[in-house]
Amino acid sequence: MSADKSAEKIETKNTETASAGKASNGNSSSDTLFYLILVVTLLLTDVVLSFYYYRNQSGFDMRWILAALDISTILSVMGLAGKRVGHFLTSMKLAMTMLFVIAILSIIGTWLPQGEAVLESGWVKNPLYDVYRTLGLFNVYQSRWFLAILYLLAFNLSFCIFKRLPTTYRHTLKPRVDVKEKFIVNQPLASVVDGAGEKGMGIARQSLSGMRYRIRPGQTGSVMAEKGRYSGIASIAFHLSFLLIGIGAMLGAVFGFDETVEIREGQTVDVRGTNLKATNYDFQIKYTDVMEEGRSTGSMPTKYSTDLEVFSDGQSLERKVITVNGPLRISTYNPVLTFLASLKVNFHQASYYQSDRGIVSVLQVNQGPGKSLIYLGFFLMMGGICFSLYFPHRRIWLKVSDSDQLLVGGRTNRAKVTFQRDFERLTSELRVKMGQEDKAHG
Amino acid sequence: MGNIFSHDLLTRYEEILFIVAVISYLVCSGIFIWYLISRNEKAAQLGTILLTMGLVAHTVALALRWGTSGHAPMSNTYESLSLFGWGIVLFFLIAQRFYPIRAAGALVVPTAFLITSVAGVFYQGPDIPLAPALQSIWLWIHVTIAMLSYGLFALAFGAGFLYIIQENLLKKNYKGVVTAFTLLFAALGLVLGLWIGSMLAEPVTVQDPITRTVGNDYSFSDYFRIFGGGFIGLVVLLGLGYFAGRGASKRSFSNILPSLDVLDEVSYRGVAFGFPLLTIGIVTGAIWADQAWGRWWGWDPKETWSFITWLFYGGYLHTRLTMGWRGKHSAILAVVGLIVVLITYLGVNFFFSGLHSYATG
Repeated sequence: MSADKSAEKIETKNTETASAGKASNGNSSSDTLFYLILVVTLLLTDVVLSFYYYRNQSGFDMRWILAALDISTILSVMGLAGKRVGHFLTSMKLAMTMLFVIAILSIIGTWLPQGEAVLESGWVKNPLYDVYRTLGLFNVYQSRWFLAILYLLAFNLSFCIFKRLPTTYRHTLKPRVDVKEKFIVNQPLASVVDGAGEKGMGIARQSLSGMRYRIRPGQTGSVMAEKGRYSGIASIAFHLSFLLIGIGAMLGAVFGFDETVEIREGQTVDVRGTNLKATNYDFQIKYTDVMEEGRSTGSMPTKYSTDLEVFSDGQSLERKVITVNGPLRISTYNPVLTFLASLKVNFHQASYYQSDRGIVSVLQVNQGPGKSLIYLGFFLMMGGICFSLYFPHRRIWLKVSDSDQLLVGGRTNRAKVTFQRDFERLTSELRVKMGQEDKAHG
Repeated sequence: MGNIFSHDLLTRYEEILFIVAVISYLVCSGIFIWYLISRNEKAAQLGTILLTMGLVAHTVALALRWGTSGHAPMSNTYESLSLFGWGIVLFFLIAQRFYPIRAAGALVVPTAFLITSVAGVFYQGPDIPLAPALQSIWLWIHVTIAMLSYGLFALAFGAGFLYIIQENLLKKNYKGVVTAFTLLFAALGLVLGLWIGSMLAEPVTVQDPITRTVGNDYSFSDYFRIFGGGFIGLVVLLGLGYFAGRGASKRSFSNILPSLDVLDEVSYRGVAFGFPLLTIGIVTGAIWADQAWGRWWGWDPKETWSFITWLFYGGYLHTRLTMGWRGKHSAILAVVGLIVVLITYLGVNFFFSGLHSYATG
């Protein structure tokens, strides 16, 4: 319970660190005092909580909170030393470095045995075993510093998203339709068609509509044609999805549970962490022969299922035959709350084993309160990245100058050569059609 | 006299047709390399016809496998590699109808041959039943999308590598061409050698008593075999790469290759189209895992490596779109990226074992 409060405290402190960091440019004495107080508070909280955590190994898992405290402390120490924390946090270099570091740590995690597996491996006899274990190399993905790096990346990401918001807002909802001639000529791709005039403008507009550009005429005679307007928003949605998934994962780690439950046929057991009881009425396995060269070389289980009933306070909630890809999901609270916070308890058929007293069905029982957020994140992630990369934002401005020239200029945020092709098609079409018109007149 | 459509006979037909396809890819590799050197249009036509015939045989073989096994051919190393090779040939044949890229056959067809022949090494009969966790509609969706993204990353790699070659040829830096070829072949040799070495290793399987995930415990002699294999592969292909590089160091070779801008764009587009597919592949995998095991992410080696691949290409896109990298630097990243993809696709199944160890692809 104390953890909840401290989590809140940390969050407010993080935002303070961040905003103060952004503001401090040199270091005025009031800033220094502020940072000094912040560093001392954070450091004290961090040390006290760490001490408490490592004394009670069986207690509440606080690594998530400790990691956040660690990174906040480091950032405020940076602020105290006169570094510009805000600038550091928004930098692209930090993001790239973090991606690289996470990749390297993940590689270590796949190379060394993780979790309990290490106890059965040869690593136990290795002289460096204790050093590695203390460093958390046998539990990389749950180690305090891996989580700390994830926090740093999350801070970095939030800042980057925040920084991009105004530009994206302008590009999407307030496009620059009325532009000056100089603006068009200075675009990365620009072209001037002599003597094209208003007729050229008509041809260009037709050609651009043919290429599925959206045409927006302005007040001062300039015209803007664009495609893939939502590319920027989609990119932000994609990056936002990591934060959603991260928060969802954190909720799951702090408030959810994941238990392995073993039930023999006919047995009823308590599900730890809940007031639920589960009964296994019947366990079925279907074997299929493995054939090689036309004869059976053995058999393999291809289906197994448990006829499961779940009780709460002696009352039956639901009964279902669960299979590997067909879990039982039970809502124990009111349905609206369950939908919003995904409070369903899921019973998954994980595996089974033969014991002296019959076959034991192994179930994975879990509840992930962050799953709604995680699935929302998944949706944003897939939609965001597709829209952002498949439909890049392409803009072309057109204007007829005083000397009857048609000015054409355009830019894109991605796929330069493909855009160039659009642009060249437009200008060549203009030249060909204008040329034909000239001949007809002559 | 049994039924000519009996299960065993159909399996036999499948094997024969698969071998026919592999042989035709081998012959076509020779023809397309000859075409690149001689520019003889007749050779290209003959190659295309032979390749189409090989593809038809391959298609029938895959269809037979689908029929005899009762599920989409994506559940083991043989099926997934065979399907991969099939996809490469199919896309090449379609593309060469619309674009003048027959010369690329000298690179694409040998790749398809290599992949299908490796598939042959891992041949497994159709009667290995599907493990319970794989019996889901997600097998289809997840594997197909992931494979498409790998294919696009392979395209980005090819264009990126040719970019490096073309740039060096245009600068008349023939040493660079030889170095690029040598490095590529050496890396390929290292990967192949490590792979063969790891097949020779005999690790002890250990199981986590709580999560029940299985892990491998390698002994010293296993490491010796793995890295020894890697070293031998590296040395052998290093020599081969050197001679290939010498062969390509001719001014006329640069005329055959597309322009730098086109290669740069193709490489970028490969990543730009592959990355969203990889994202969808990972997310569908997470949704499937949530359905089967009740956890959407478990840092299983396959999951972790696909995450690393995803970080890598995410890095590629950021360096390009926000830091303005172009040309050579992006090309190098696209080339290195395929090595990461190969580790994810194949390496993980051989070096590590986890929940994905029974499921290649």
